[in-house]
Amino acid sequence: MADELYLENIDEFVTDQNRVVTYKWLSFTLGVHVNQAKQMLYDYVERKRKESSGAQLHVTYLVAGNLLQNGHVCHKVAVVREDKLEAMKSKLSTIASVHVYSIQKALLKDSSPLYNTDYDIVKTNLQHCSKFSAIRCAAAVPRPPPDAPRAPAPAQGAPRHRDPDAASTINGHGPPAARAPPQQHRGIMGMFAAKAAAKAQDTPKETKAEAKEAPGVSAASSKPPTKNNIMNNFFGKAAMNKLKANSVPEQPKEEKEVVKPSVTVAEPESSPNTVAEKPGKKTESARIQQKDKKSKTKRANRSDDEEERDPENAKKKRKRIKQLQSDSSDEEADVPPSPTPEEERPPSPPPEPALKTELEPACTEVSAGGRKRKRKRVLKSKMFIDEEEGCM
Amino acid sequence: MFSERAAPTAQGLLAPPAAEPPTFPRVAVAGYSDCSQPFQLGERSFSRQYAHIYAVRLAAMRPGLERRARSRWGNDIALRRLSELQAGEKCCVVGTLFKSMQLQPSILQEISEEHNLVPQPPLPKYIQPADELFLEDELQRIKLEGAIDVQRLVTGKGQRWLCGGTTPRALAGADAGCAAGTIVAVYGCEQDDGLFLVEDHCFADLPPPLPWSGPSSDRFVLLASGLGLGSVSGEALLSTQLLVDVVTGQLGAEGEQSCAAHITRVILAGNLLSQNTQSRDTINKAKYLTKKTQAASVEAVKMLDEILLQLCTSVPVDVMPGEFDPTNYTLPQQPLHRCMLPLASAYATLRLVTNPYQASLDGVRFLGTSGQNISDIFKYSSMDDYLEILEWTLLAGHISPTAPDTLGCYPFYKSDPFILTECPHVYFCGNAPHFQSKLLQGKEGQRVLLVAVPDFSATQTACLVNLRDLTCQPIAFSSFGADSED
Repeated sequence: MADELYLENIDEFVTDQNRVVTYKWLSFTLGVHVNQAKQMLYDYVERKRKESSGAQLHVTYLVAGNLLQNGHVCHKVAVVREDKLEAMKSKLSTIASVHVYSIQKALLKDSSPLYNTDYDIVKTNLQHCSKFSAIRCAAAVPRPPPDAPRAPAPAQGAPRHRDPDAASTINGHGPPAARAPPQQHRGIMGMFAAKAAAKAQDTPKETKAEAKEAPGVSAASSKPPTKNNIMNNFFGKAAMNKLKANSVPEQPKEEKEVVKPSVTVAEPESSPNTVAEKPGKKTESARIQQKDKKSKTKRANRSDDEEERDPENAKKKRKRIKQLQSDSSDEEADVPPSPTPEEERPPSPPPEPALKTELEPACTEVSAGGRKRKRKRVLKSKMFIDEEEGCM
Repeated sequence: MFSERAAPTAQGLLAPPAAEPPTFPRVAVAGYSDCSQPFQLGERSFSRQYAHIYAVRLAAMRPGLERRARSRWGNDIALRRLSELQAGEKCCVVGTLFKSMQLQPSILQEISEEHNLVPQPPLPKYIQPADELFLEDELQRIKLEGAIDVQRLVTGKGQRWLCGGTTPRALAGADAGCAAGTIVAVYGCEQDDGLFLVEDHCFADLPPPLPWSGPSSDRFVLLASGLGLGSVSGEALLSTQLLVDVVTGQLGAEGEQSCAAHITRVILAGNLLSQNTQSRDTINKAKYLTKKTQAASVEAVKMLDEILLQLCTSVPVDVMPGEFDPTNYTLPQQPLHRCMLPLASAYATLRLVTNPYQASLDGVRFLGTSGQNISDIFKYSSMDDYLEILEWTLLAGHISPTAPDTLGCYPFYKSDPFILTECPHVYFCGNAPHFQSKLLQGKEGQRVLLVAVPDFSATQTACLVNLRDLTCQPIAFSSFGADSED
């Protein structure tokens, strides 16, 4: 009979498996209301005791009621062993509830097995821990999950509106800060992907590097100069001046100004788009401008020979970059390897850098762009030397 | 309140399973509005000095105090600034109290090399008989002293508070039962030696009352604080589980469960994590030893998340941060970030709120803190009773007068959000040593329920506030341990 099934189940749990069967555990295991579970336990105890087949059962009860304590009437809720039940009941002036809390074979020294049993069963049923409870709350509904469009939403007001119930701080840093870390990775990877894509097209990449460098320079005022200073040590002042000369005049360029909005926090997404597109569109103008800017032959040679040399450059660049990497002490170390494997990757969806991530990719790009240029410059020179030596 | 209602069906579950057991719907919150916007900080700038907050505090409370002074000592008393004082003239001065205490921890003394002092260990109280009291206003300060009468007042006899005749406490001199930073109006005259002889004093008194629109049926709010998760000892764990079970309606017979369905809200007033999670031992150890160690608070916050999830699926919960919780140290403490509680913050019933927390629940205005303000006053004054200190702050018109002197505080400069402008209906503080509550009646019809919420990890007691009649009952949990009783 269905009624007797639970008795057999409880019997199995208690005697065969030697478990501590609390009402909550039984409720979750059998899928019944907590009050039914309590009644089942009681029924089992009564029948077992009547049979008196010799199996020792220890029962703990829950007692609740009014207790006069320290001058005020306190509502006391206590878990007691069976032998202390009557004593506790007599202490209470009014008894609010009594029911079986748990059944187990062994005598419990303290209540930690009870806690552990309940903890385990709740842990495995976390998502519907109130399913068998006696109280239903209509207001307890999960919030709608934040969707992907929320992340790239430029305005920081958007996440605030989306969580009307979240009492998270109105402090402007609250929600975006939570979003920043995942976006940061996307931002950096996106930057690399975008960079790699540009690298596939040689000149677009140049312009892109320069384009990205400009916002980097304008945005992260402190970082690029420091990076430039560090690069100074490696590449010499001449290269440094070249870089600065290139970066500064590039700023007034209109494409740079369009790219500049990427610096502002408000529109992080549009800028990478524009930046990604712009180099493609304006490669030629950039190239021409590049050539105009160039004062040294090396640079002119570089741009001229870029296509021809690029395959070789690419290979040798990889080598060189790795060697230079060992020299460098900045985080540009991670920048060069990533463009190389990602060369074939098409431009991924534009990154959505937050303010912080903007600075970093921009900086790495500044340095990367500068680096690339510098490395190229140096490479060229070295290669010339090599070739000369080879010739010689 | 629970017990009487539940008594008839108390033994109902000591029976074989019967028909389908009833489920009770949780009583819905009729009206909730969060009034703690003044405590939420947006952009924070710490480039300002703390003097501004005192100036703002004095300017804001001066009109009220002048009114009180006139009503107390007559309309024709002379209200003077300290700069306008004339020797021998009886007048009333409004200013900020400052207490000069020798034992007060001072960072300058600690780092001063000429003293070669070992930093002072934390004491439970820093008061001393030789402490001196000063009154400061915008420009000057003057040392306060009392006459023979005040001497008696010093030892705590005779003087009465402004309203309601509560515990007598003194103002000036050694046994100063008040705290620095309070705005006070003193009546007396300046002596020839430059001291101000105080004859009488008064504080701002209870703020104007709020209209009462409480519920007509029984509605409960559970106040608990000091859950203390992450502590080494696990005694309070089962009690915490019992608390959650009572509130979510799993524990108890039917009568008790139906009463528990009337709990409309749970407010956790701070110290959800235990002090043990704050240990900084890893700082002193070598890096290679502590590389894989996780901060204790990580595990504790996971436990907290699970507990909050169980609560949130059944009842709206407001979580206030406390002294040991992972949020900023200075008052007002900002809400815990919901990324720490991924499971629980999926539910709309979880609200993460600031440390002084003010909200209107079902027409009843709640205002409370996690207890740092009260325990700070406890350290620097002779008052021993948390409820007494709580009442005193209400009468002084300021939630935490010792901020920023001895309690960390944000350098406000436009307005002081801790000034009490309206009288709340329920005024609580968390992490008190034991449960205390009192209903205070004011002269203008204010009714305030003062509740000192006990530390749950130590006392296994929480508070149930009945919104209908502003009564409060403690609810205590116990299990059996190695020793038979409790």
